[in-house]
Amino acid sequence: MRLKRIFSMAWENMKQRRLRAFLTTLGVVIGITAIIALASLGEGFRVSITERMEQGFELDVLTIIPGSLFAGYRYERFKDTDVENISRIANVSVVTPVMQIGSVPLYKGEKKVSAFVAAAANFTEFQQVFSDRFEFKEGAMPDLVENDTLIIGYKVNYPNETETAFVLPGEKVNMTISIPKQTIPPSVESKNYSFTVAGTLQEGGTAGLTNFDYWVFLPLETAREIYETRLVDLIFVKVPDPEFSEKVAEEIEALFPLYQITVLVPLSFIQQVNSILGMVQIFLTAIASISLLVAGIGIMNIMTVSVMERTREIGILKAIGAKSRTILTMFLAESLLIGLVGSLVGVPTGYGLAHFLNYIIARFGTFQLGWISGPEVERAAIAPIFSWSWIIIAVTFGIVICVLFGLYPARKAAKLDPVEALRYE
Amino acid sequence: MTALLEAKGLKKTYRMGKILVPALQGITFDVAEGEFVAVFGPSGSGKSTLLHLLGGLDRPDEGEVSVDGISFSTLNDNTLAEVRLRKIGFVFQFFNLLPRLTALRNVELPLTLADLPEKESIKKAEDTLKLVGLEDRMNHRPSEMSGGEQQRVAIARALINDPKMVLADEPTGNLDTSTGGEIVQLMKHLNREKGQTFVVVTHDPAIAETADRIIYLKDGMIQKVNEGRRRL
Repeated sequence: MRLKRIFSMAWENMKQRRLRAFLTTLGVVIGITAIIALASLGEGFRVSITERMEQGFELDVLTIIPGSLFAGYRYERFKDTDVENISRIANVSVVTPVMQIGSVPLYKGEKKVSAFVAAAANFTEFQQVFSDRFEFKEGAMPDLVENDTLIIGYKVNYPNETETAFVLPGEKVNMTISIPKQTIPPSVESKNYSFTVAGTLQEGGTAGLTNFDYWVFLPLETAREIYETRLVDLIFVKVPDPEFSEKVAEEIEALFPLYQITVLVPLSFIQQVNSILGMVQIFLTAIASISLLVAGIGIMNIMTVSVMERTREIGILKAIGAKSRTILTMFLAESLLIGLVGSLVGVPTGYGLAHFLNYIIARFGTFQLGWISGPEVERAAIAPIFSWSWIIIAVTFGIVICVLFGLYPARKAAKLDPVEALRYE
Repeated sequence: MTALLEAKGLKKTYRMGKILVPALQGITFDVAEGEFVAVFGPSGSGKSTLLHLLGGLDRPDEGEVSVDGISFSTLNDNTLAEVRLRKIGFVFQFFNLLPRLTALRNVELPLTLADLPEKESIKKAEDTLKLVGLEDRMNHRPSEMSGGEQQRVAIARALINDPKMVLADEPTGNLDTSTGGEIVQLMKHLNREKGQTFVVVTHDPAIAETADRIIYLKDGMIQKVNEGRRRL
């Protein structure tokens, strides 16, 4: 029997049982919808995160922090000799140490603002490392850095999006710094220091690890005097090209006993995050696939019932000369049609669902990005990304599932004994 | 002249639960081309079983059926289906039409199975429906037709592939006497005018009487064979 006729008969059969065909197909539609929606949202999430990170990270800057993210050993803090040793490594262009002071309040008369991080750094070196971001909106890098020079992050100077600046270049502010004292029990002494503001940095927005918008910068030497120590908390290393970053990181690690420091390599970090998000995407899609599996079982169930109901019909067909293979194809054609229609409807509804979910997330969801950066909270927006490969995978998977689950009832129908089938009431 | 249908020593036993029921216990007879043969017997005599064996719907435990020189025992299920399609037409007591198809589509079905182009098969189905007097009912579904009309559709379906023989299982069993009579007349007419071979299984003496030959079946054995009113 010709395939075209088999399919038109299968179509007629389904039309005769509209509700049943509709419900069975609905299962497939839901499965495909879920797969398409989750896969495209996952892809969109992966790409947007990766893009943000690539924008936020200076790919040619390595960050060295004491201690390990994984093990408990802690290298106390970095010494001057550590900085010297690192700067001797090949393909290192700038090495700059930073002393990180926690959040500090700034006062100007009655007004008060807070900086999330006060960083003590060598301004000139720091500007070489972060050449793209360490740029001034107001004021300028002073020719001569005094002990009391202060550079202020954009959001520190303009909190709450207010129009007026907290402080203008050349004005003085007071900063309260807490200094730990070696007493028993340990205590903290708070002291006020006066600084002259050199300028405000441009707004950088959310960046990878560091968001300077919430930082203030004071000279490293000043902090060393205040704390009476030369030890530092962070070392930034700039390499001539991101391609050297892995190699340089290995050599830096080799300078320190195992596990006592961590070198954050943006390039490999991005790659890792990217691959993790890729796995999350596959995982989400796999969960969505379960619904397709359930739909497949639904098809099997309905087809088995259908074979029983049509036993006599199958007997008639066999009696007038239909081959087993023809009967098999007739039933498979029905499940194939269910799979095809379900998949073709499921792709656009999946597209719609992804956009709807994106709308919901964008409207009600917020998420925090940044790490040692600042309390940056952003509206989440994950534009779903549709790829032909996912559509093809989903449609193929949908049809394969349907045919696979239709196989058992179809074989059952094909194997029916004609005499028994004719006798069936 | 060799016989169109040859049945030799057919035996068939059914298992019903733990009991073995012997349905046929050695049946041998021939049917010549153009003959109208009635197999007559009470219910339970094995008539239907015999018809299933003759039509290749079932296989005997012992013995041999051959139609038009083709021995069924040498065929696999697929080729046997092919023989049913091309050489044999079936008419059943309960008509056995596909309820969702129109009369025309029901009649056309064997041609569809035989891969005939739709245009050709529709034409032929229309012609065959005219032959059984149903030119006005072609697009009706079985539920919209009377029993007699449904059986005419079934006969048209049996005839459409120009089979060597038509096997009818109690064709009037589900019809009233006068409609049944019309169906018998139709079959007789086709037999006389077109030389169509019929083997009709029945327990209705009125049909049996019209046959060229009556084979009396009882308890799975041939009791006697009567030459009927041959060629009126």
